[in-house]
Amino acid sequence: MATTAAASTLKRNMKTALAGLRRINLEGLRWRVFDARGQVLGRLAAQISTVIQGKDKPTYTPHREEGDMCVVLNAKDICVTGRKLTDKFYRWHTGQVLILMVNYIGHLKERSLKDQMAKDPTEVIRKAVLRMLPRNKLRDDRDRKLRIFVDNEHPFHDRPLEPYIMPPRSVRELRPRARRAMIRAQKKAENQQQKGDSGKIARRKREINNEITT
Amino acid sequence: MTRIRRGYVARRRRTKIRLFASTFRGTHSRLTRTTIQQKIRALVSAHRDRGRQKRSFRRLWITRINAAIREMGVSYIYSISINDLYKRQLLLNRKILAQIAISNTNCLYMISNKIIK
Repeated sequence: MATTAAASTLKRNMKTALAGLRRINLEGLRWRVFDARGQVLGRLAAQISTVIQGKDKPTYTPHREEGDMCVVLNAKDICVTGRKLTDKFYRWHTGQVLILMVNYIGHLKERSLKDQMAKDPTEVIRKAVLRMLPRNKLRDDRDRKLRIFVDNEHPFHDRPLEPYIMPPRSVRELRPRARRAMIRAQKKAENQQQKGDSGKIARRKREINNEITT
Repeated sequence: MTRIRRGYVARRRRTKIRLFASTFRGTHSRLTRTTIQQKIRALVSAHRDRGRQKRSFRRLWITRINAAIREMGVSYIYSISINDLYKRQLLLNRKILAQIAISNTNCLYMISNKIIK
């Protein structure tokens, strides 16, 4: 069920990827490729939003739309810190639409990051980038310039693509509790390995102990 | 008291206002009372935005200089470059720097390389 839904969204993604290209004036725009594998969600989205607005060009003009086309690959490998995978919720309100004088009763609906990634991982990045863009009339055009793909394959191989190198990041050191947890996990992994390697020696030891007791 | 007509006084005043608002859209250029109000609003906006214009252009220049400087390398940032500019007592203002950034990017690179050292 989940896989078929994901497959259908993939196909729809591919079709819409080539869709609105005619509406964009593509002369002189570069095609930048972002690889989302192992990147943190918000930090990647911030970089994408600056590129899409055209703020990395010295000819930036706020009333014209001249950002580069952004292609994002490997959307399913995006990382998130903390407990956001289970605790970050996408919420939206339904109903409250007046049609033929009938007010639909709606309520707050929410979906966690985990479910959203299972359903459509491209939406996660798209929402993140869109919510970082300024809310003005150019926002829809900028949305059209963003193409996000789940895997490495995309239908833009004949274009002149340029990979975007993320700026270097200073990762802060682990907090004490997290570091202790990591050390414990490492030790556990080492113990597992040792047990696997020296299984025979442990069994010999146990046999000797049994002999001594009996 | 004898009867006194107002004559052309009001009409002359209103034609001036109508001339000012002649390019406005719809009833804002046709109906007298609306035109008077719209002329006042237009002048207020112009007065306020003359101060804002200075701010917004400076913002635009800063964004452009930032973009041009970041293209140079990884740790080239607008704030650090401006600090270096002041330290070296280079009196170029942001308007000129932005213009240099657009037209003659190599010149800007030369300037910033000299400043960084």
